[in-house]
Amino acid sequence: MLSELWSDLRYRLRAIVRRDRVEQELDDELRFHVERETDKLVRAGLSPNEAQRRARIAFGGVDRTKEEARDARGTMLFESILQDTRYAVRGLRAKPGFTAGIVLTLALGIGANAAMFGIVDRMLFRAPTYLHDAEHTHRVYLASTSAGHENVSAWTSFARYADLLRWTHAFSSIATFATWRIAVGDGDAARVTPVAGVSASYFDFFDAQPPLGRFFVAREDSVPTGSPVVVLSYAYWQLEFGGRADVLGKQVRIGHTLCTIIGVAPERFVGIDDEAVPAMYIPITTFLWDARSIDYSKNYGWQGRLLIARRRPQFTVAQATADLTTAFQRSWIAGNERNPARAVPVATARPRAMLGPVQLERGPLAGPEAKVVAWVSGVAAIVLLIACANVANLLLARAATRRREIALRLALGVSRGRLIRQLVTESLVLALLGGAVGLAVAQWGGAVIRALFLPNDVATSIFTDVRSLIVTLLVTMAAAMITGLAPALQAVRSDLARSLNAAGRDAGGRASRLRTGLLVFQATFSVVLLVGAGLFVRSLLNVHKLRLGYDVRPVLVVTDNPRGMKLTTAERSALDARLVDAARATPGVESATPVSSVPFWGYEEPYLFVSGVDSVSWRGDFVLQAGNPDYFKTMGTRIVRGRAFDAHDRADAPRVVIVSQGMASFLWPAEDAMGKCIRIGVDTAPCTTVVGVAEDLHMRALQGQKEYTYYVPIAQYTSAPGTLLVRVKGDAADYIEPVRRRLQHEMPGAAYVTAEPFQNMVDTKTQSWRFGATMFVAFGALALALAGIGLYSMIAYGVAQRRREIGVRIALGASSSNIVRLVVRGGLRLVVLGVVLGGVISLWAGKWIATLLFDETPTDPVIYASVAAILVGVSLLATAMPALGASRVDPNVALRAD
Amino acid sequence: MTDDKLDLPQGTLDLLILKSLSLEPQHGWAISERIHQVSRATLQIPQGSLYPALHRLERRGWIKAEWGASDNNRKAKYYELTRTGRKQLDAETDAWQRLTTAVSLVLDMG
Repeated sequence: MLSELWSDLRYRLRAIVRRDRVEQELDDELRFHVERETDKLVRAGLSPNEAQRRARIAFGGVDRTKEEARDARGTMLFESILQDTRYAVRGLRAKPGFTAGIVLTLALGIGANAAMFGIVDRMLFRAPTYLHDAEHTHRVYLASTSAGHENVSAWTSFARYADLLRWTHAFSSIATFATWRIAVGDGDAARVTPVAGVSASYFDFFDAQPPLGRFFVAREDSVPTGSPVVVLSYAYWQLEFGGRADVLGKQVRIGHTLCTIIGVAPERFVGIDDEAVPAMYIPITTFLWDARSIDYSKNYGWQGRLLIARRRPQFTVAQATADLTTAFQRSWIAGNERNPARAVPVATARPRAMLGPVQLERGPLAGPEAKVVAWVSGVAAIVLLIACANVANLLLARAATRRREIALRLALGVSRGRLIRQLVTESLVLALLGGAVGLAVAQWGGAVIRALFLPNDVATSIFTDVRSLIVTLLVTMAAAMITGLAPALQAVRSDLARSLNAAGRDAGGRASRLRTGLLVFQATFSVVLLVGAGLFVRSLLNVHKLRLGYDVRPVLVVTDNPRGMKLTTAERSALDARLVDAARATPGVESATPVSSVPFWGYEEPYLFVSGVDSVSWRGDFVLQAGNPDYFKTMGTRIVRGRAFDAHDRADAPRVVIVSQGMASFLWPAEDAMGKCIRIGVDTAPCTTVVGVAEDLHMRALQGQKEYTYYVPIAQYTSAPGTLLVRVKGDAADYIEPVRRRLQHEMPGAAYVTAEPFQNMVDTKTQSWRFGATMFVAFGALALALAGIGLYSMIAYGVAQRRREIGVRIALGASSSNIVRLVVRGGLRLVVLGVVLGGVISLWAGKWIATLLFDETPTDPVIYASVAAILVGVSLLATAMPALGASRVDPNVALRAD
Repeated sequence: MTDDKLDLPQGTLDLLILKSLSLEPQHGWAISERIHQVSRATLQIPQGSLYPALHRLERRGWIKAEWGASDNNRKAKYYELTRTGRKQLDAETDAWQRLTTAVSLVLDMG
């Protein structure tokens, strides 16, 4: 059986590869047969001529025999495909402009989809590289209720992690991890680098073997100090150590801990890179000890660790969740015992655990980004459909001019199936070319999108990514089917006799109706995309217009990192004061202040006590900000009532506080806030007196959250924050280096400063609107351009087809403007129909994206009106050219044409 | 002239070709001549089916072809039975004989 298959394959291969040779042999073989038969007959006494004649008759049709012998070779299908392909390629090469136009159209459509697939796959579907047993691996979320509102978090404390590890049994492994940007290296070579602190169990979640050295083990990840060991990422090893094998045993300063390199993670290993792609991995215990050097093993308040867990297969998700919840409640009680002052009973807090997919974007905390990306992918699919409609339209137009040729071939007996196959082959060749170019488009476009919106992402090449390649191929095949089938079906359905007679003169009938439908479809979906683009652009504008309560562009955030220098609070304050002076002395700097909180980045939220208001801190987010007398000038926050801080607000002066407007009206709705008393930290703290009210500001979110800010003078603040805000003239991004270099002079020892524009912190919050606006506008413009080109080519083609009719009209006295109106009206009717349909679809679809917009209603009439105007404008432009051409038709020429 | 000739039942052509090749390698014309002679001119192989059949058998690997000089020194394509071809011949001969015996038995029925 096997040998038969093998022989079969070998035979067919030879028939294909050495086709000419095999044909020649068949010729020789048959000729030999006839010659022998002739010989025989000559010997029997016939004349040579007569013998040959009889031999031929006896043999029968040579060509039929050959055809059957070829059939017996079993390569007919392949050969006809080869022939169709050759035919298609020849046809396409004959019209390079037409071909290039179609290939480019398809490339844009396919490329858009391939690029978006790469991003969606990365964000939502693909399990992290090397993750092993993704099915049983979960992200752990912990939820508790306060003030009737359940807060879900993926971040927790090390103490909680240790409790869950100890008190659960449904999991074979639980790992905790966090990635922070900390200083790596010594002296001038020190760089802020993303470093991951991971528990030793973390590596068990992956099928990853270190190409060099080893990962660290539980013994090296021990509470509280851990061991000073580090595993480098492959990329960092290549970049900083040139991939040398002798790095093992070398030492690197991470934070202030000197760590020994014990291994290198494999290429493309990034772990679970929620926060950043780590450059290196150290034990979580080492990581925490380096950060605070306190015993954190019972500290439930120090949060920021993420959790993943592997469920034992014999437990269902529900059972495992229940197990985890029980452990969490026990841990909650332990936390209450640890800190009785802030204890909240289990019955009130209702702590519970949840298991979700490993990817944060698929869990309960998914940001708007994932949803916007999903929408934009849908938009990419629509762009592809519009592109396909365009190509189908062009092919239909061409098929109409080829009607005589096709009818002739049908008349000559070519089967309809064969003809369809040939026409579809042609679209397939076009689509494959489009797909190939589309890959390049996707690689380039994907890189741009990633650079703009996914700065943490690892660079990948679409050409080596199997999943992307498969999807691109599928999309390409779909495009080939969509674009090829309509022209093919239409071509073979045509009436033979009419086509042969009419010479393709009549443009009416079914074909035209199909093309009209495609055009209306294009217009409709262009409207939908443009409406989407309009909504996102308006949202983005609204975000930009939003008064945050401070200025962003001229502010630079400077962080100083003492790096193991043990400074007392007084020394730290003195250092901050020196840094403020140094910053002020830098050219271009207007003012500077130390701060305890930075909006969208880091907040200080001590407990608050106000007489007459129960449990204030449970009723909203109260963020404490500390600053010097220049604070309000530096941030650009306006004082509404009372005064800002001044030089008299020293440590020994009466304690003062400034509250935000919202906070004032929340705490004292019916009274004047000025002169009221707030106790900060504990209820026995001395009174701080309200001396001013400042405008409200956005500290943690841009939308819908009860957040309040209050301010104390830095001199009366209990600790030294180590963060500075510096206001410059102009754009902060231009001052990063001058400011950093000037301030670095003030830093003692190995300590260093980093500077980052405030804009970067704010941008992470506006990302989803920026992404939505950019992508919707890009794709909407693409769709509009395609629809415009489609309309133009259809009208131009229609005019060419109707030359005779137009000629007759002109001969009968129609004026140029009559003709222009006639042509334009035809095109405009379709577009108006598209605008109406698109408007209806947009209104219906609008409710789904309402939550993704910012202060914008999805039924905004301004946007609908503008989109309608744009579409009508573009279609006027697209029809005007052919219409003018039509008005110049010379009846003498047109009527004599055939 | 046509009266004493029989149409070949479906599938028997392959068997006849394999049988006539079992003695020695032969070219197409010789195969048709031999069958014609041995069957006492009863079986006339339609030329149109002979060559497609030969190519089909070759594809299956039951016979193999080689170019050689014919008796009158012309280039001819000789077919030869392969080992699987020989097994196939045995199997098909056996099947054929059982079939004809069975058919005879039925026809001889009282």
